[in-house]
Amino acid sequence: MTTASDTTRDALWRRMFSGRSSAIWIATIILFVLSPLIAPGSLGTAPLLSMLPFASVLAIAAAGQTLVIQQRGLDLSVPGMMALGAVLSSALPQGEGWPVWLAVILGVVGPGIVGLINGFIVTVFRLAPLVATLGMNALLLGTVFFLANGTPSTAPAVLTKFALARTLGIPNTLIIAIVVIVIAGLLTQKSIIGRRLTAVGVSERAAIAVGIRVNLYQTFAYGFAGICYGAAGVLLAGYTQTPQLFLGDTYLLPTVAAVVLGGTVLTGGLASVFASGIAALFLTQLGQLLRALGWSDAQQLIAQATVLILVVLIREIVPRIANRVKSSRKAPTTSRVDATTR
Amino acid sequence: MNNINELAPVDTIAPTSGVTPPVVLLSLVGIGKTFPGVRALHDVNLEVRAGEVHALVGENGAGKSTLMAVASGALAPDQGSIEIGGVALTSASPDEARDLGLAIVRQDPALLPDLTVAENMAIGVGFKRVGGLRNAPKWTQERLDPWQMGVDARTRIADLTVEQRFIVEIAKAIALDPKVLILDEPTEHLSLEEVQRLFRRVREIVAGNAAVVYISHRIPEVKEVADRITVLRDGQVRGTFEASGVTESQIVERVIGRSLDTVFPNKADASVAGIAEYQLAVRNLTSEHFHDVNFAVKSGEIVGLAGVQGNGQSELIRALAGLGPATGTLHVAGRPVKLGNNYAAAQAGTVYVPADRHGEGVFLPLAVSENVVMKTLPEVAPGGAVRESLIHKIAITQIRNLAIKAPSPRAPISTLSGGNQQKVVLARTLLSTPKVLLGEEPTQGVDAGARVDIYRILREAADAGAAVVVLSSDGVELQGLCDRVFIMSRGAIVEELVGDAVTEAAITNAALTSTSTVEHAAKRQGRFGGFKGWLRGDSSPAAVLGLIFLLLGVVVSITNPAYFSPFNINNLLLLAAPLILVGAAQQVVVLGAGFDLSVGPLMGFLVVISSFWVVDGGNFLVGFGLMILGALGVGFINGVLVTRFNINPVVATLAMFIALQGIYLSLRSTPGGIIADSVMAAISSRVSIVPVVTIVAAALALILEWGLRRSKWGVQLRAVGSRRDAAERLGIPAKRVIMMSYVLCSILVLPAAVIMMAQIGIGDGAPSISYTLSSVTIVVLAGASIFGGRGSFLGILAAALLVEQVVNISPFLGLSSAWSYWLPGLITLVAAVTYTAIRGSRRKAAR
Repeated sequence: MTTASDTTRDALWRRMFSGRSSAIWIATIILFVLSPLIAPGSLGTAPLLSMLPFASVLAIAAAGQTLVIQQRGLDLSVPGMMALGAVLSSALPQGEGWPVWLAVILGVVGPGIVGLINGFIVTVFRLAPLVATLGMNALLLGTVFFLANGTPSTAPAVLTKFALARTLGIPNTLIIAIVVIVIAGLLTQKSIIGRRLTAVGVSERAAIAVGIRVNLYQTFAYGFAGICYGAAGVLLAGYTQTPQLFLGDTYLLPTVAAVVLGGTVLTGGLASVFASGIAALFLTQLGQLLRALGWSDAQQLIAQATVLILVVLIREIVPRIANRVKSSRKAPTTSRVDATTR
Repeated sequence: MNNINELAPVDTIAPTSGVTPPVVLLSLVGIGKTFPGVRALHDVNLEVRAGEVHALVGENGAGKSTLMAVASGALAPDQGSIEIGGVALTSASPDEARDLGLAIVRQDPALLPDLTVAENMAIGVGFKRVGGLRNAPKWTQERLDPWQMGVDARTRIADLTVEQRFIVEIAKAIALDPKVLILDEPTEHLSLEEVQRLFRRVREIVAGNAAVVYISHRIPEVKEVADRITVLRDGQVRGTFEASGVTESQIVERVIGRSLDTVFPNKADASVAGIAEYQLAVRNLTSEHFHDVNFAVKSGEIVGLAGVQGNGQSELIRALAGLGPATGTLHVAGRPVKLGNNYAAAQAGTVYVPADRHGEGVFLPLAVSENVVMKTLPEVAPGGAVRESLIHKIAITQIRNLAIKAPSPRAPISTLSGGNQQKVVLARTLLSTPKVLLGEEPTQGVDAGARVDIYRILREAADAGAAVVVLSSDGVELQGLCDRVFIMSRGAIVEELVGDAVTEAAITNAALTSTSTVEHAAKRQGRFGGFKGWLRGDSSPAAVLGLIFLLLGVVVSITNPAYFSPFNINNLLLLAAPLILVGAAQQVVVLGAGFDLSVGPLMGFLVVISSFWVVDGGNFLVGFGLMILGALGVGFINGVLVTRFNINPVVATLAMFIALQGIYLSLRSTPGGIIADSVMAAISSRVSIVPVVTIVAAALALILEWGLRRSKWGVQLRAVGSRRDAAERLGIPAKRVIMMSYVLCSILVLPAAVIMMAQIGIGDGAPSISYTLSSVTIVVLAGASIFGGRGSFLGILAAALLVEQVVNISPFLGLSSAWSYWLPGLITLVAAVTYTAIRGSRRKAAR
């Protein structure tokens, strides 16, 4: 029998690398090794420093999407949420003269509240998450348009300075991303809340039967996701200085792609925020590499879609093949189990 | 008790009637079937003769349903052969079995909830046999009327009661004129009168020299209707008997096949009687399924709930666990507990061990250890952080204590056998030191060895201070385990057995004599009549939306007369045309329980293609040809990804959304390519103030509506969307139907793209993006179920007009541009919430 410390280490290691998540770690390492070989300009200090902030923003947003997908949802309100975070943190100080700190907090918390509303609509009114978040996205875009009076505003200088700065050589955006992901990761993997979220995602009915307040936990997941989108929006606003009004539009598919690449299943339950974060890094570096090879933004879109479909296809096909191999080998094992139960 | 071995199986006795050998209609030889961890069937032989009712009896989990699944081609056996009417069944195919003359009525009827009774009948017995969809209602009504169940052939299955559905299923099977009819537990939901009608019909069928296989665990019924009886236990045949030659008790012994004394732990000792307080006290508990239930259980006691299935026991025990609604009062350990709240019940110390182990008991993909601690997480998370080492340690202890056979605590619980999974559920239960333990069929589908352990665990829980309530349909189990037993009938406790009076015979007797059949005269008559029924129908949204459309028009025209100007009406109708088409496109996919997010960018993609060819001096034919190819290709790829590779439609079409955007941006990063004037003029032509394209779009919607209601295509599409597994069981090629829905969707987007091309007059994809949301808004507004199966193209027509009107009136009302986002979003949410409230939500797990 293994000792306790053994199992702890093993379990943590297992959670990070095992099963569906391991593929993305390996793929990311391979990508970084290959990048300089394929396009020499794609992995210097400068390209790395220009890539990491975008990877950070995507990773934070993907953490939110992971939580929603874990609850068998799919959050189509990411664009509106990020835009709301950006517009609150930039338009309010510029237009209404709000203090920057308050605007930034509102930019993070505001989408969180909208997320709670999403969760409420999904759990209490029993709306399909897809419909609820699609409708909410339109409401959010309208609100963003209204708040900004239809014209993009400039992010506060303090925010921009922070987003562009580095601490000990590490971009602040990356530090924020790591903080958010570690919090979200520990929350989902190591806390009681996280275990219950997993339980609800795996089987709502079984979770109800053991006395978990399912609606509360699901609503929480949407709310926390909103906070993540808000944080991503605020950071992106700061980094881009004059954020486009609908800056979140290009982030919807990448968040879904990152979650899927990270190995979280769309049928809910088992999810890994860490893996989604690594997948965000992978996707952004892939974009960097393609850009270095001279691909246009439009072609990047095609590449993103292709990568997503390829990964989903591989995840679908590999188990089928593995099952076929296993079933031809497994026959004796089954009979042994059978014998012991009798 | 009689010696089991005194009973001589009929096979060894010479046939009683005549000398000619009987015609065998169904013959199963040497059937074996193993599921992971369970040997469900072992060397089973069964012979069903023409002109007989052959009963198959056995406990839950004895293998009856598995055997019949094998016989009907739904399940491939590991060994053995099947012959129907003398012809061998060559493959496990329900279609082949049906063609050979076998019909089966399963416990879970293969009915499509969103389709009408007549449509279900047409699918079940073939469109030809019912004389086409037009004649189906009349034909179906003729077959249903003899049952006097008040079923209208035009009602939707979802609006029928459970017993009405069962009768439809039986009528459907009989309408096939089968040689062999299998009825699997047919009387569970039927009243006494209905059971008698069923038996008369069964007699008529066998009089016509067909055979009926009658599966049941109700021995008295079996004795009444069957000619011969085959007993199945633990997957093996324990003999076939002439029904007239055996007594009920002789059959029961064969069915149970074990002696009582060795299995059960000692009952509560006398000290329990001395306890004055009750751990669980129930007063005047009432719900739709039970009424005025009063009882109390002391700590240390095990109390049984018995009665014929469907008399409210299950609903009662769920209500005690906070999983079902009830009024009245419930006290646990002297404190009142809020009813209908799972969390309140859990906090009070009530724990429920569910009957549906896979659905409610275990978290299948999770490890054994995680399943064990799921209810007591705070104990493995000192300071809020979950410690794997603690989980592991607790799991190992529990595995040892309860003798759970698991390869490791980290093994997924799905790899364990049923009995061991149940022990994990019990381990979780015991860890929370319950004040009240509620067990529903705790040993269902559990092998004999694990059963003994489970009885011991339950008794130990009681000894540790819990009040235990066990619901079981197994009288022997109740006799051996319980200190007291309550018999329920028609939602009320009708009898209490205490101490030595708790015997299997007394339980069975009490349950059966207290008129064991379901009472439901009250709820029979049309559950949703009149206005409410109409509201739930398919035609109501179109009418309501149409009315709102007109009212809104009138209201706006009062504030601003320019609204009714020919220019504005022409403009409104013109802009509504592409909405009608994309709405209809989305509706086609949604009807099949799919989703297509790529409709918007597909329009943009097609417009950009056109801007290279449909220009002055360009080759129009090539342009339109490429647009057609583009639409077909996109629909085909979407369909392949969803059907062939089982990719979630949202993910597949979201990827397509982005890819198409990338493609049209690669082709034209900025707007360019002026569309030829002649083409634009042709597309913009109108009759009086009505644009031709709008007439075309409306006509297409009408044709689709007709096809949806009247053609085989429409019925199959709705069938697949309504319940794919049932549709497949009924022989509908679900994959092909879904594939076609994506292709048709893209084909319908094509004319929408052509109209948009004329409207913007230049190769630009950007304006197309918003059409994806619009299409979803329209579908939701039109009252379609987002989960598939129901919808109306008339509704789409009305919804598209209304959506365009809402966008159109903003300037007339002086609303800011923000409203062009707010309004569609609001409409989508409000409409979806309203429809869900009216119809009640179905399949909430689906997206």
